[in-house]
Amino acid sequence: MSTRWYPIYQKTGPQLRVFLPNFWMKLIRTTEKQPKNIVQFSCSMQMTQFDIKNYLEKIYNVKTVDIRTRIALGKTRKDPGNGYVIKEDDAKYAYVTLPKGEEFQFPDLYPDENKDKEDYEKSLEQTKQGYKDYLEKNKGRPGMPGWFTI
Amino acid sequence: MNIARLNRNLTSRILTKSRSLATTAVTAPQQEDDEYSATPQYPPILDLSVEKKLERKRATKSDEIRNAKTVEEKQLKINMPRYYGFKSFMFFEEHIPYNSLSLAQHVTRTHLIKTKDLPEYYQNIDVEDLEIISKDVQETLLMEIDGIQRQHHLKNADFTDVQKENYLGSSIVKSINRALNNVLVHKYPHIVNNEMDLDPRIESSWVVGGMDPDESIKKMRGGHEFLKQFKNDPVDKTFSYVGSPSLTIRAELPLPYVLSPSEADNPSLDVPFFEYDPRVLGMGVEYRHAANIPGFWPGDSHTFGLTSYLQTGHLLERVKHFPDVNDTKEASHHQAILSSYAWLHSQANHLGFTTFNDITYPMVTQTVLTNGKDFQFYIYQLNTILLHSKNTTENPKRNICWASDEYKLYEGIQEGKLIGFNEEVLKNLVKLYSNAPSERLGVNLRPYLSQEEKLAADYEDEDKRRWLEKEYKFLTSNRPRLKELDEVYAWEKIYKVDHKTRLMDKKRRFFELFEKPWTRTLDARLPEYIPRALRPDLPRHKGRRAKEYWP
Repeated sequence: MSTRWYPIYQKTGPQLRVFLPNFWMKLIRTTEKQPKNIVQFSCSMQMTQFDIKNYLEKIYNVKTVDIRTRIALGKTRKDPGNGYVIKEDDAKYAYVTLPKGEEFQFPDLYPDENKDKEDYEKSLEQTKQGYKDYLEKNKGRPGMPGWFTI
Repeated sequence: MNIARLNRNLTSRILTKSRSLATTAVTAPQQEDDEYSATPQYPPILDLSVEKKLERKRATKSDEIRNAKTVEEKQLKINMPRYYGFKSFMFFEEHIPYNSLSLAQHVTRTHLIKTKDLPEYYQNIDVEDLEIISKDVQETLLMEIDGIQRQHHLKNADFTDVQKENYLGSSIVKSINRALNNVLVHKYPHIVNNEMDLDPRIESSWVVGGMDPDESIKKMRGGHEFLKQFKNDPVDKTFSYVGSPSLTIRAELPLPYVLSPSEADNPSLDVPFFEYDPRVLGMGVEYRHAANIPGFWPGDSHTFGLTSYLQTGHLLERVKHFPDVNDTKEASHHQAILSSYAWLHSQANHLGFTTFNDITYPMVTQTVLTNGKDFQFYIYQLNTILLHSKNTTENPKRNICWASDEYKLYEGIQEGKLIGFNEEVLKNLVKLYSNAPSERLGVNLRPYLSQEEKLAADYEDEDKRRWLEKEYKFLTSNRPRLKELDEVYAWEKIYKVDHKTRLMDKKRRFFELFEKPWTRTLDARLPEYIPRALRPDLPRHKGRRAKEYWP
């Protein structure tokens, strides 16, 4: 059951009753280097270790051995216009240990994007190197325009 | 105006300087012959790379610790860098994380050998008159178990299962120990001289290198122009062990070693490498002084441990969380390895070796894991305690642990009689007791302690003795400092550190003064105040502070 607030239903009003769960878990890439059987999740703040265990076992049929959670302090930043400090929400992270011998590898979600990025970086590197060579060649002739020599 | 009238100190300083100049000028022709030699003498050429510089720094540190005269001074010397203690990863005997055997092996550099029985060395020890011993032990067991079950407080609901198991186990261990001592003392005279401790406090701290730095260190290094290149270099970590066996037996002489020291260098004795930050397994971190307590204080004549009995009650609770049978077995290995290493390491510290000065001869201990019914035997040979920095990978020596299978001493009790009494277990126990400590011929057992003063108590100066004793006991007491370590409060982090919104506030806090309270050294404090009435008859401003004897 959701605890979200919805506008009271009026006759002829739009149907806004979309029931979303309070409990959600998001698989994330580990920040620190972890053993292969440890998986990190970001989850909703209300979830306890027991909830996480049941969530994974009952819905996804994933056996867990140990679960540790922590609440990370939200980041603060200054409002660009008014200059006061704004704090983002805190987040709960869960570290789930799978039975010994099981391994989890975070999937490569956007392989194409990575390839594009690599190509872009490669060309950028080439351009930078070319400019460096040009500077090196004209070191002894400051202020000489580029078209002057071959 | 004359400068001399402005500042008297200044003139005196100028005068002394000029005087020294004058003397050198006068004596220079005489010294000329001494100053020059036929062949030029250059200082040694040193490798000035960062790595080599660090190595030299570590070498000087270990030399300094080695040159400290007494056991207490060495321990103080190790602790000198930190007033609030070192940030230590904590191993508690009864808290064993899931899948942590490789970590235990890595931080102790232990090769684990799983055998069915005790190692080969023990097969040569003969056990005679097993029947008589068996009869005595069975009788004692029955008496003890019967006696415990009558005890009122065991039926008390406040007693948890773990406490009951530990209570039963330690009572049985005590009675078996008594029975075996009584029976065997005639045959093995060394038993008379053994000392016994009940529930001793075992604590140990050591430094291990080779592990990946955590994100905060990487971030710090990454933000520094020079340190950037060492961003992913491994870091040294301090580990502390806290435990309490139910019973330990120790002697004046060490046990003979099981494997010769040269065999311990064998590269086929592999040790798993745990590359992660130990916090990934759920280990905690505390600020703690490096305390090494083997269950007795410096000055005790019986400094070599023979046997220790560990309790297994905590496994009952652990099995509820981690029902994996194999992991429970590994947890026993974890407990035995760490307890044996920590006990031997703290004993080594009482012999003058430290985590920066390796032991010069192997040490052996025998560990029994038991709840009074199930017995597991471990033999641990300590070959090295040098694990800091590169030694994790480059030190050729390894420690070795032999782990036996789990045996039941008896199956059960029916009509006042033991059923299925296992004499093999008893035989192993007798072998542990009959393994006599012996003198190591031609080996100096305390090479790094001074000839004259091995302990603080050997000093003639009474004031120094008292001072060293007080400081050493404080380090081992694990008492918090009167003024706790400063912290950055949450509001300060937001409004002073992250966003500079309080520019008009006076800058008085440590982070505004560029101080690091956690790097405060042990001697960064005022010596004790002596009230005027207790001072000798001196001018008022003299002799206010007591003398200190930092090593």
